[in-house]
Amino acid sequence: MTDASRSMLEVRDVTCSFGGLRAVDGATLTVEEGSITALIGPNGAGKTTLFNVVTGFCPCQRGSVRLSGREIARWAPHRIARLGMVRTFQLTKALSAMPVIDNMLLAAADQPGERLVNVVLRPRAVRAREREAREQARELLAAFRLERHADEYAGTLSGGQRKLLELARALMARPRLLLLDEPLAGVNPSLGRELLRHMQRLRAEDGITFLFIEHDMEAVMNHSDRVVVMAEGRVILSGSPRAVAADERVIDAYLGGKHVPLEEIV
Amino acid sequence: MTSSFALALGGLTEVGFWSGVGVLAGIYTLLALGLQINVGFTGILNFGQAGFMAIGAYAMAILVIDFDVPFLLAVLGAIGVAVAFAMVVGMSSLRLRADYFSIATLAAAEAVRMFAQNAQGVTGGNQGLYGFDVAWADASRQIEEWLSAIGVGDANGLLPLLLVVWLVALLAIVALRFLQRSPWGRVLRAIREDEDAARSLGKNALRFRLQSLAIAATLGALSGVFLALNLSFVNPQAFEPQASFIGFAVLILGGLASYGGVAFGALITWTLLEATRFVDLPLSDTQIASLRFVLVGLLLIGLMAFRPQGVFGKRQEMVLGD
Ligand SMILES: Nc1ncnc2c1ncn2[C@@H]1O[C@H](COP(=O)(O)OP(=O)(O)OP(=O)(O)O)[C@@H](O)[C@H]1O
Ligand SMILES: [Mg+2]
Repeated sequence: MTDASRSMLEVRDVTCSFGGLRAVDGATLTVEEGSITALIGPNGAGKTTLFNVVTGFCPCQRGSVRLSGREIARWAPHRIARLGMVRTFQLTKALSAMPVIDNMLLAAADQPGERLVNVVLRPRAVRAREREAREQARELLAAFRLERHADEYAGTLSGGQRKLLELARALMARPRLLLLDEPLAGVNPSLGRELLRHMQRLRAEDGITFLFIEHDMEAVMNHSDRVVVMAEGRVILSGSPRAVAADERVIDAYLGGKHVPLEEIV
Repeated sequence: MTSSFALALGGLTEVGFWSGVGVLAGIYTLLALGLQINVGFTGILNFGQAGFMAIGAYAMAILVIDFDVPFLLAVLGAIGVAVAFAMVVGMSSLRLRADYFSIATLAAAEAVRMFAQNAQGVTGGNQGLYGFDVAWADASRQIEEWLSAIGVGDANGLLPLLLVVWLVALLAIVALRFLQRSPWGRVLRAIREDEDAARSLGKNALRFRLQSLAIAATLGALSGVFLALNLSFVNPQAFEPQASFIGFAVLILGGLASYGGVAFGALITWTLLEATRFVDLPLSDTQIASLRFVLVGLLLIGLMAFRPQGVFGKRQEMVLGD
């Protein structure tokens, strides 16, 4: 019981196949509360599909998914998100036809104005929540240096800015656990470092737990407390960055025989 | 040559012509406002708006004639039936791929028309239903009296209907704009663009789509009621799929994601459709009837080439195309 309360996410023996292909084939992993956990593995290992299963986007054909001890396998995505596990997508899903600020407001949790009855009968409560959310959105946009673009259509942002917007937007939904699918892909290095600092800060200040998929080994080794390695739909290894970086299987199969230099964690 | 192709412009200057066009444009504004919330703001292609129109007209007529329900209550009842029908169609097909929903709505609308044609005991079959508009005739006379008291004459008795249908249409536009600006409307637009993004942020996409469809069904049913009042009968021919497609012409002309554009599109479309009646060509009546649609089609093609977002649509919000 004490163990269960310390783990934020417990995935047991989860399977998901497309036709004959078992994209996730009995994967098991745990994400500790308050940790920054990295999920790595070669292309096609099933990392994104695992995210999809865990967040309800792919039907979970077998196994169990527990969020803070609660069984959520086969729940609908929106219910899982409301429970505090929010994800981003490998191919960024910024809503281009909406202004940046609307992208943010959309994600605000507990907006009574998303119910038709309240729109008609409780306009003041709706406006009050909207004001609050707008303020929070402005702060987040400022933190991610997107403030200037608040009123522009999200479609006008650069690829890297869209990644930042997606992260900022996910934060509006008040997550306890954030799943980021390759947050650094397509982001220029200085923006990428900033994004990693944000992750550290959000964990420290707001106690948000992170699970992120990343191919950038330097980011993985220097910014995570734990690394989970997937290959062919299974978790083949997990442990501290040091232990994982030293593992022969990882060096051979994934890092192409190179050792990754480790810095101190910021 | 010149004489046989001339437009009988005399017809276009008559009040009666314009009040007729105005009533039809008002009816189709209501119909197409439903399409706008579905297609323009939710991103679901509803091809069955004629079906909700038919249900509105028939249910109202049946409630009045067979059950002696007062007219306004019958209208509410008709809306209820249309919404219930929409929920059955929506729940069975909105979970599936988008194109299944389109086909399901088209099929459902045709099923309604077939039912109207064949369930003679209830719907009068091809003969249709009469005698549901006694209350409206009284009200209409009353409005005419008021109008003549302020010196507004009426050529063909259509003015009261014209006023009421546009009053309802404008109220609908105001209400829909209000909803669209609300957080609820924001979720709708998010779903239109990327359902998965919306779901990942905790929005129950199915619920919003069903609500959007329910509103479309309500507007469709209202347009059916007004169509019935305009014709003073209801029969199956009034609700052929062509009604849905005229609705789409209205929508595309006015522009996606603009409620005001719908009213504009309806006025243009019906002016064109009705004005072609006065074209004096050496053609048979059926050929002229098809010519009307050819003209609207040409107009739409021209529009697609030069202004694909429609007259009032926003280019930045065109997400259906990509
Ligand atoms: N919707 C789908 N339909 C069919 N096959 C799929 C689908 N999604 C993923 N796959 C397959 O499942 C396997 C795992 O894909 P997945 O995207 O999960 O890999 P990944 O580890 O995220 O890879 P990458 O690092 O390239 O993003 C791949 O072979 C992929 O082709
Ligand atoms: Mg992937």
